[in-house]
Amino acid sequence: MAQLLDFKCPSCGGAINFDSQIQKMKCPYCDTEFEMDAVKQYEEAIQNEHEQDDFTWNIKADSNWQEDELNNYAAYVCMSCGGQIVGDTTTSATSCPYCDNPVVIAGNIAGDMRPDYIIPFKLTKEQAKQGLRNHIKGKRLLPKQFKDENHIDKIRGMYVPFWLFDTKADANFRYKGTKTSTWSDSDYVYTKTSYYSILRSGNIAFNSVPVDASSKMPDDLMESIEPYNIAELTDFNAGFLAGYLADRYDVPADDCIERANHRVRQSTEDRFRSTVSGYKTVAQENSNIKLSDGKANYVLYPVWVLNTSWQGEQFTFAMNGQTGRFIGDLPLDRKAYWKWFGLIALIVAVLAYAAAWLFLR
Amino acid sequence: MKQKKYLNAITLLLSVIFTVLLIPFNVDAQMIPDERLLPRLVDNADLLTNSEEEKLLDKLDSISEKHQTDVAIVTVYSLEGKTATEFADNYFDYNGYGFGPNRDGILFLISMEYRDWAITIHGSGIETFTDAGQRYMTEQFLSYISDAEYAKGFNKFADLSDQFLKQAAKGEPYDYGHLPKKPLAWYWLPAAIGLGVIIAFSVVGGMKANLKSVRRKVGADDYIAADSFVLTDQRDIYLYSNVTRTAKPKESSSGSSGGGSRGGSRTHTSSSGSRHGGSSGKF
Repeated sequence: MAQLLDFKCPSCGGAINFDSQIQKMKCPYCDTEFEMDAVKQYEEAIQNEHEQDDFTWNIKADSNWQEDELNNYAAYVCMSCGGQIVGDTTTSATSCPYCDNPVVIAGNIAGDMRPDYIIPFKLTKEQAKQGLRNHIKGKRLLPKQFKDENHIDKIRGMYVPFWLFDTKADANFRYKGTKTSTWSDSDYVYTKTSYYSILRSGNIAFNSVPVDASSKMPDDLMESIEPYNIAELTDFNAGFLAGYLADRYDVPADDCIERANHRVRQSTEDRFRSTVSGYKTVAQENSNIKLSDGKANYVLYPVWVLNTSWQGEQFTFAMNGQTGRFIGDLPLDRKAYWKWFGLIALIVAVLAYAAAWLFLR
Repeated sequence: MKQKKYLNAITLLLSVIFTVLLIPFNVDAQMIPDERLLPRLVDNADLLTNSEEEKLLDKLDSISEKHQTDVAIVTVYSLEGKTATEFADNYFDYNGYGFGPNRDGILFLISMEYRDWAITIHGSGIETFTDAGQRYMTEQFLSYISDAEYAKGFNKFADLSDQFLKQAAKGEPYDYGHLPKKPLAWYWLPAAIGLGVIIAFSVVGGMKANLKSVRRKVGADDYIAADSFVLTDQRDIYLYSNVTRTAKPKESSSGSSGGGSRGGSRTHTSSSGSRHGGSSGKF
């Protein structure tokens, strides 16, 4: 019993001791009473929480390009925006998918990392154009130029480099939960609040969490066209690149890990939290996540891309080349915005006034 | 013969007594004249300019002739110790207001001394201008008079009387539950515009939000390996509880609901013995 004297009150943090009269633990500061067993379990759980989070990854060593691949493909660089792409050497005239300026051969790709896997294009250019048309349909505040067919024709297929992270996570969570019940007599309303310490331990595995490995491609845009179906991931073969461009990888896995960790942590927290139910309030008090068996693969994902500048601003649209998910922020036509605003405000005001005139006199 | 003489004497005596009894009554109580003695607008308190007076009188005359009911306005400086209702009733009766044998009419009186007003109605006016109707009318025009816009207020009174008389001619006078619709309160205009602006903002805001589709993913839920989530320990430990109490708010006794407005007009009898309806107050 002696060591129990060190226990801290879960309610106020003061030192609690055993009250022999009631045969329970009692806090001398806030008068809260505890069952002996509950205090013991709670204290044990806290004792085990000193471990640090551990997010370590093994990044797979890359394989080398084959001889014929080196001969047929070259790295290009855009003289205008500095964008770097990979394409086959036979495509003599290629323009930069980001800024539409011509690109020049920068050299061979021998020094580049060879992708481990690729998801080949499944959707054609025609389908991509249709995707764009659907995307802009019904958008009343879109400037008219954006509906122009010539413009839509510039959409291009491009392989975008990604890091895919696989990992297992072991996690421990402690939450504080409350349950309340109320009852009343003739004079008072009583509220009873019960406090619980909720412990959850377990593990969860993640497969192929993607992080955009091209600095030129906006990360948020790439996350928006997720998810890709990784069942269709195949071993990389440069033949898949024929007729398409490939964005050149330039963000090493180490720099991408943080984003992957963030997403893994979020999902792990959400999943564990979802097992806590039946409480009025739940607050996470402690968490500990350890990753194991982490590895990263370098892959190419198919994306249909259209870049447009409008009034000095760059708008990039992207379509998932596998699933057809089309994403891209569209510019706002200010004039149309205020026109619609005025029209709607006028109609609603007139209708509201008419309704008031009819019914509220 | 002697008996007849006695009878004559008694008759004479009785007539003398009657006459004696009647004389002070007749002297004190004025006669109700057959004809209207005063115009339909009497501005003793001199609240109107001559041209306003002229126009208003024309209006009152034409309304009165049209509906065969006197619509009159009287302004005085003092009620001479009477209540506003008594004064208005007497003014109506002893100055011969009222159209036809039933002396149909309405008279609006204001007295400047203590800022009293009264409406008196008589004859068919009692049906035309019900209590609820008078309340409606005063709500519409009394505020002008309170603001010293007398010409405006009197004209409004005349117009409202016209409207009420017109409705009564249809056989269904305005009454409780059957009043003309009031003009919409002024604040409905800004309220409607405000509503329009708010709704328009939310609609175009929605249209604007429609243009945005790029969003970062928050988690990696799409990549959780199937059936990989396993809980190895799951404990919910009850720690402690506490009870708080709050006093119940004392229920306030429900206010008595008012008598409720009934339709029709309550009437009273004026000093001349005729039945009047009406209302009065301060402005």
